[in-house]
Amino acid sequence: MSGVRLEGIVKAYGAVQVVHGIDLEVQEKEFVVLVGPSGCGKSTTLRMIAGLEEISDGDLTIDDRHVNRVAPKDRDVAMVFQNYALYPHLNVADNIAFGLRIRKESKETIASSVEEVGGILGLTPYLERRPADLSGGQRQRVAMGRAIVRRPKVFLFDEPLSNLDAKLRTQMRAEIKRLHKRLGVTSIYVTHDQVEAMTLADRIVVMHDGRIEQIGSPMDLFLNPKNTFVAGFLGSPPMNMVKATIAAGDQGPVAEFDGQRVQLQQIPALTNAVGLEVILGIRPEFVSVADQNDPNLVGLDIDLVETLGSEALIHASLQGEPFVIRTDTVGQMHILDGIKGFTIEPNLVKVFDAKTGEALPGQVLEQ
Amino acid sequence: MSNDPNFTGAGGPTTEELVFDAKEAQRRRKPSTMQRVGDHMKREWQLYVMLVPTILWLVIFLYKPMYGLQIAFKDYSIFRGVANSPWIGLEHFQTLFGNDQFIRALRNTIIISFYGLIFGFPMPILLALMFNEILKQTFKKTAQTIVYLPHFVSSVIIAGIVITAFSPSAGIVNTFLGALGVDPIYFLTKPEWFRPIFVGTGIWQEAGFQSIVYLAAIAGVSPTLYESAVVDGASRWQMMWKITLPSILPTIIIMLIIRIGNMLEVSFEMIILLYQPATYETADVVNTFIYRQGIQGGQYDLAAAAGLFNAVVAFVLVMTANAISKRYSRTSLW
Repeated sequence: MSGVRLEGIVKAYGAVQVVHGIDLEVQEKEFVVLVGPSGCGKSTTLRMIAGLEEISDGDLTIDDRHVNRVAPKDRDVAMVFQNYALYPHLNVADNIAFGLRIRKESKETIASSVEEVGGILGLTPYLERRPADLSGGQRQRVAMGRAIVRRPKVFLFDEPLSNLDAKLRTQMRAEIKRLHKRLGVTSIYVTHDQVEAMTLADRIVVMHDGRIEQIGSPMDLFLNPKNTFVAGFLGSPPMNMVKATIAAGDQGPVAEFDGQRVQLQQIPALTNAVGLEVILGIRPEFVSVADQNDPNLVGLDIDLVETLGSEALIHASLQGEPFVIRTDTVGQMHILDGIKGFTIEPNLVKVFDAKTGEALPGQVLEQ
Repeated sequence: MSNDPNFTGAGGPTTEELVFDAKEAQRRRKPSTMQRVGDHMKREWQLYVMLVPTILWLVIFLYKPMYGLQIAFKDYSIFRGVANSPWIGLEHFQTLFGNDQFIRALRNTIIISFYGLIFGFPMPILLALMFNEILKQTFKKTAQTIVYLPHFVSSVIIAGIVITAFSPSAGIVNTFLGALGVDPIYFLTKPEWFRPIFVGTGIWQEAGFQSIVYLAAIAGVSPTLYESAVVDGASRWQMMWKITLPSILPTIIIMLIIRIGNMLEVSFEMIILLYQPATYETADVVNTFIYRQGIQGGQYDLAAAAGLFNAVVAFVLVMTANAISKRYSRTSLW
């Protein structure tokens, strides 16, 4: 099977270790996105898979073959680079055909492959143009064409959409997704953009400081982040974090802060944690706006209401920190005018240990 | 509503008038070229101050002497001066083309330049490609320093080294040939050896330094092009041919155009230092001819005609090379 397995992969530059023993198994035909902030080691990991960086320690297996010492060309992978890496002196057709020519494929094979790839990516009218005469999106498509024309076992994408404007990025994101569905090739995609990660991935790997923080499906990571880092990294706007202490309430555990309280779900990890200092993770989408008559109201200092059409972003502050609420506008505008705070279902509040940043066990939110 | 494009309602100006007025207003608002240049000079006066020495150099050493070019068409006398010498039309050019020595010098200039172009032009490119392939930095830097060094040595010393190296009595070349049982050869007195020695010396002296331009161009090639090629399976040799060389091609073409423009400017000092009457047959070039006729022979007008001819040919060459390059490679000087 054309899967990729990383076991204890380490990358060190001299004494400085930048990737600290990564374990990851990418299944055949799976689309896995490595996401994390700049410098987290995601691109280095991808480059190690491609063979562009030497692996300092650990084992890399592609298609059940140990490839640590195998040259990039013999790993049967294709890579799409952030800056496209198109040869400026070659036209689109020649750029796409480059890898095939290097591998001394016959002229007929090259011509038919280029034609086919050009058709798939909508590049047929531009085959004679040089990269300088193409738009950013078209260049990105050529870069993908170069990758898919070789029919590799694994596609590696290194932040391929970073150089595009927001509109084009959305468009190309959909094209990549469509292409993956059509070709069904195992793909590993690196990005720092959590929206790309959420929309493209079968599974997301969140990395931080050269380590994997959490692996899971986009919704699993969104609903059940393992720690405050993952919670804060995924989601736009990011999850709101509120410092609180767990106390015993009439109907189970509550979180208290600044003289206010939020009802928590009744699970052993929370019921038995009275007195524990915690961080409440509250997604901007999971709260309901409320006025001052609501008995469960958590009060906020409202700063600004941004109306974006069908939804609105309410910018407020709690404990002196920004607190954002995302809410629908349809039928709610009268509430938005008089908003004083929010209410939230107990099971939608994620509770993290304030000391370790790890989520307290047993809080699983089903999709 | 009226279909008349000039309709604007009751009594107001027509659309045409409004457009005209808007254009007029725009024209009035737009400052003239002189105004814009003046404003720019006021704003960026420091840049213009830095430009002054170059402009002065151009005027004094390149434009002012052009006034003297007219003596190519005059019967010049130093006593009558440039302005008062009588015009004689193209007589000097007719004399030149009837002069065997000039024809010989012209032929030698073209042959030596051609050799220089064929053997000398690719050498810095090859050197740059080779330097680029050296992975060990210490070796690379040492090799570069050794190759750049001759450029910084004066032509007189270079000529001295060449004369010594090819000396029939103690020169290293003849010593080596002697060891192989070959009789000493008087290289610098044999016309057939002058061109190879001259061209070879030029390459030795300048190729390393000229390679800097190409190394800089190579440094500008995006490393991801190579990484992408590595993933595609390209060897180092293939990367050099399919990525490095095509990527620096615009630089190569620009340097080629400049080189073609300077084709007739064969290194005058080196020829003077290396040639002798015995090798005039292959060594005398237009510039040395001008030097002998003009400075040593006092025929300033004839020498000016030869110099002007040289300049016109160089101008035509550079224009042609530029036009060809622009047409076929999208790269040009202007």
